[in-house]
Amino acid sequence: MSMQFVADGLVAGATIGLGAVGVTLTYSILRFANFAHGEFISWGCYLTLVIAGAIGAWVGPSIAPLGALSIGPNVLAAGLLAMALTGLLAIGLDALLFRRLRRHGSSITAVIASFGAALALRAALEAIFSSRPVYLSQDLQIAIRVGGLRITPDQLALLGVAVLLVGALQLLLSRSNAGRSMRAVSENPALARIVGIDVAAVIRLTWFIGGALACASGVMLGLVVQIRPTMGAELLLPLFAAAILGGIGSVPGALLGGLIVGLAEAAAVQAIGAEWRAAVAFMILIAVLLLRPAGLFGRTD
Amino acid sequence: MSEPASGLRILNLHAGYELGSPIVRGVSIEAKRGEIVAILGPNGAGKSTLVKAIAGTVPIESGEVRLDGEDFTTRPVHRMVAGGLALVPQTDNVFTTLSVADNLRIAAHGLSTAQRRARFTAIFELFPDLARQRGLAAGRLSGGQRQMLAVARALVVVPKALLLDEPSAGLSPKVVAELFAKLLEIRATGVCIVLVEQNVRAALTIADRLYVLVEGRNRLEGPSHDLLADPEIAALYLGGVRGSVRAAHP
Repeated sequence: MSMQFVADGLVAGATIGLGAVGVTLTYSILRFANFAHGEFISWGCYLTLVIAGAIGAWVGPSIAPLGALSIGPNVLAAGLLAMALTGLLAIGLDALLFRRLRRHGSSITAVIASFGAALALRAALEAIFSSRPVYLSQDLQIAIRVGGLRITPDQLALLGVAVLLVGALQLLLSRSNAGRSMRAVSENPALARIVGIDVAAVIRLTWFIGGALACASGVMLGLVVQIRPTMGAELLLPLFAAAILGGIGSVPGALLGGLIVGLAEAAAVQAIGAEWRAAVAFMILIAVLLLRPAGLFGRTD
Repeated sequence: MSEPASGLRILNLHAGYELGSPIVRGVSIEAKRGEIVAILGPNGAGKSTLVKAIAGTVPIESGEVRLDGEDFTTRPVHRMVAGGLALVPQTDNVFTTLSVADNLRIAAHGLSTAQRRARFTAIFELFPDLARQRGLAAGRLSGGQRQMLAVARALVVVPKALLLDEPSAGLSPKVVAELFAKLLEIRATGVCIVLVEQNVRAALTIADRLYVLVEGRNRLEGPSHDLLADPEIAALYLGGVRGSVRAAHP
């Protein structure tokens, strides 16, 4: 079996990992599985597309790609702006929906509500952009060879960006006041209030980070596959598999889980056929839940 | 209220988890700066609910909480600490997954780096054990050390009032004595300390004044030594508490 799946799997895995970080943060701090997280990925990608288009229209059609990459600086700038906007979208959804439910409902209410929110967010994308696929870049990239594997400059850059983002987040969580507060709220929200932490602000920060990283994941996905309103929803199962495999609450775990799920999917596609891709995430999810429910880095309390 | 308002003052407080069925039903207490006040009473008297309501974690229906004259009644929980009112809960009172140092740092937001360093120096002087274990996850501390850490954390933003909910619960007499010795040192800095205790003997060793609650209301109050000197009360509160109190006050 050729090792080419490693290159494809790592890129897909980084995409899954970035999304899974948001899932794991929301789950550990708000105690519910947010099934609308996939929609942040789609929204992030479409926002990037629109903003990049707007910058293109404003500056003119002659935006050269960055170095060996297929995308120009307009996409990069659009991606950064879209990350902030998707973060705000996540905060907005919380204010509109989940915050109200936290006051009265149980976490299962929030889970069901997140299903509804997912449908609404997806339907909105379909209404605005239709289901016709669109592209961030239509350049054909020449793959370069790295240790026997063919990988495009885009893919290499995406891997680097994912590792950089997760590394920065991990640093924030372990070293900064905001990060300590997030860990404290995740462990014991009642005590967090008593020691003077503004739990509402920590929750907003959590949504913002989750939304922003989902957007980054969406841009990565949009560079590899067609952009469609269902692109994020289709990634939902791998996201949860990765978050649970990594151990709920663990940011590096979510990235590692994502890479493992991505590699496993790519290996399955190469070895037994593309129709088995979706089943792989499912099998990993079930295996982890049966054998090691706390995941790779999870707490066992 | 014409007298100078220094310390903690609770006026006719009604509070409970569910609206309309208060557990605390008209309690008034006072704790001056530099004074240790113990709240005693049988199980279900509303002692813990009282301190939680003062700290803002249990809804107040009516009444007033004032600290140094300032109204704290409707202040949100997370702003109590900054205002100088700190609660040490009875259980789950440290973040077990955070290190000892991070447990303290987390209470230090709002302080400048210099202020924080100065506070930590003072705290580690008072709790040398914690200084040695600052890198350890708080979940690996013993029960007594966790209680010390919880108290230490409450001291990070110098409190005006320190509320402790059953600090001696589950601790050995030796550790209780150590902890209470620390409370005496803290009292000497002018903090007012309100202590909820089941362990009457231990409470009597450090409290300046006592309040006895029964069924969510004030039943008795006075300086510790006065109440101790009363043979009937001493017998009631150093012996089987619940039945005797009901019998004595039908």
